[in-house]
Amino acid sequence: MTRKVLLRYTTQKATEPILASVIKETGLLLNILYAEFSTRGGEILLAIDAPDKEVDRVIGLFERKGVEVREIKRAIQLDRDSCFDCGACLSLCPTGALHFTADRSVELDEDKCIYCELCVPSCPARALKLSKF
Amino acid sequence: MNKSIAEINDRIRRGDAVVVTAEEMVEIVRERGEVEAAKEVDVVTTGTFGAMCSSGAWLNFGHADPPIKMQRVWLNDVEAYTGVAAVDAYIGATQLSETRGFDYGGGHVIENLIRGKPIEVRAIAYGTDCYPRRELETTVTKDDLNQAVLCNPRNAYQRYVAATNSRDETIHTYMGTLLPNYGNVTYSGSGSLSPLHNDPNYETIGIGTRIFLGGAQGYIFWQGTQHAPTKAMGTIMTIGNLKEMDARFIRGATIEKYGTTLYVGLGIPIPIINERVAKSTGVSDEEIKTDLIDYGVPRRDRPILRKVTYAELKSGKVEIESGEVPVSSMSSLKRAREIAGILKRWIQEKRFFLSQPVEGLPTDQVFKPMKQITAVPFVRDLMTREVVTAKPSDSIASAAKIFAERNFDHLPVVDTKGKLVGIVTSWDIVVAVGTPKKRLSEILTHKVITATEDEPIDAVARRLEKHRISGVPVVNARSELKGILTSEDLSRLLGRR
Repeated sequence: MTRKVLLRYTTQKATEPILASVIKETGLLLNILYAEFSTRGGEILLAIDAPDKEVDRVIGLFERKGVEVREIKRAIQLDRDSCFDCGACLSLCPTGALHFTADRSVELDEDKCIYCELCVPSCPARALKLSKF
Repeated sequence: MNKSIAEINDRIRRGDAVVVTAEEMVEIVRERGEVEAAKEVDVVTTGTFGAMCSSGAWLNFGHADPPIKMQRVWLNDVEAYTGVAAVDAYIGATQLSETRGFDYGGGHVIENLIRGKPIEVRAIAYGTDCYPRRELETTVTKDDLNQAVLCNPRNAYQRYVAATNSRDETIHTYMGTLLPNYGNVTYSGSGSLSPLHNDPNYETIGIGTRIFLGGAQGYIFWQGTQHAPTKAMGTIMTIGNLKEMDARFIRGATIEKYGTTLYVGLGIPIPIINERVAKSTGVSDEEIKTDLIDYGVPRRDRPILRKVTYAELKSGKVEIESGEVPVSSMSSLKRAREIAGILKRWIQEKRFFLSQPVEGLPTDQVFKPMKQITAVPFVRDLMTREVVTAKPSDSIASAAKIFAERNFDHLPVVDTKGKLVGIVTSWDIVVAVGTPKKRLSEILTHKVITATEDEPIDAVARRLEKHRISGVPVVNARSELKGILTSEDLSRLLGRR
């Protein structure tokens, strides 16, 4: 299962090669879903496809290196009973997480979702919901 | 080769009619030509499932005791029109709930009626000798109503324009959310499955044509409003028994920051009476073109960027300028296919017979713009042309002096060529006092919300409200400063009105 963690860097930590060193130490493929840095520090959203134990180790390593880690357990849910497969959401989805299947049904690939939430209010059928748990 | 509708109905009755969907017909005509196709195929079924705002339902509640002549009536807090007889009302798809706003509207009331859900009815009246009652509250389902008739003034546009947005901000339109700088394209319509595009000369479609409407059998009873056949934008008025409909094909919906609407599922069977009709039902997505329109321009005649085909739109990517842009459909192709498939099955199972129209639809009508008797003011009519400006290198102190001497709040900052590079407000000066900052270049806002001279005032008023600002510099296409328009200029206009 893919887990997603949000890393929060302070301005001081932003210049250190922390992510690179964690990748080197664990040998895991850490996928950057998005990254943003400004004068107030930065954020990186990572998707980690690895056994739970390995992911926990990654989280521990980041924390030890002074990065704030928060596991993201929000999820966008597509209610198939309400969705009528128009596809209004598709062009708003920056990662292609929302896409058409071969028979033109709308499908959500949660692993690709970066929780930008652009799709949620734009669904005419109100079939997309953000749930936090 | 000619076939009559009576002959085709005989074949349906005997169970040997050949029925195909419009998508299947594209292949048949492509492979065998229209002459063979006309011999072989008897009926082509079409389908569409999209937002059709011009929809609603006539309801009759029966009489209460003591009776009421409804003056105003609300269904689940959505007002219905009752300016007709005592207990008749029309619930329109886009009417908003008075308590839930954009989240719930007439379209949702119609869907809930079809689902058999109870609807809260509230009415008021002035009271008469024959209808003394002045207030009423009750709950009804569709079974309690005498008539519940879906009656839509404009459905099933033959095709529709595709939308994009040149502005540098996201806009919310009836064509959905349009991202800045041509960030996406939206469209509507089922292309080769489009009911009216399969018989664009109305050789078989007319008043009295029996159709699939919301999962039931309904009828075309007139040309739709804004019917524009010469522009390939024909429309139809449709009617059908809401009580027999299926909520899978009639859905209330919300278009973000625009309003509520009704998604209507509709399909028309096209009898293949001759080779011309066979040919027109063979129309492919590659052959159906529409205009890609810039909805960033808030005018009636919006600029056309280019022509696009439904094949391109359905592919999910469209080229604009030099880049590929992602496309969203506002209507559901999957459900349009389902409708064409159901209609095909109904005919094959002898549950649906074709009707002979009693009258044709106009083929030469034009859609006129509104006659207006007062001129709409534009930015150029109201803006102040003599603008005091500053240079980025000017000192904050000199700007403070200008604000103190003159009574205004916005100081546009321009470069040596007169191009707008930023703006400073009196508030920015207040904030800068007590900091070591010296030059305007250190405090000016670079990303300036602007207007152009040819924009209608209403569009700019909306922009001021949206960004909570009190003025905008007016620039031309080269960013040269032409004037300034402030909320004070707008209040002057209100005074004149």
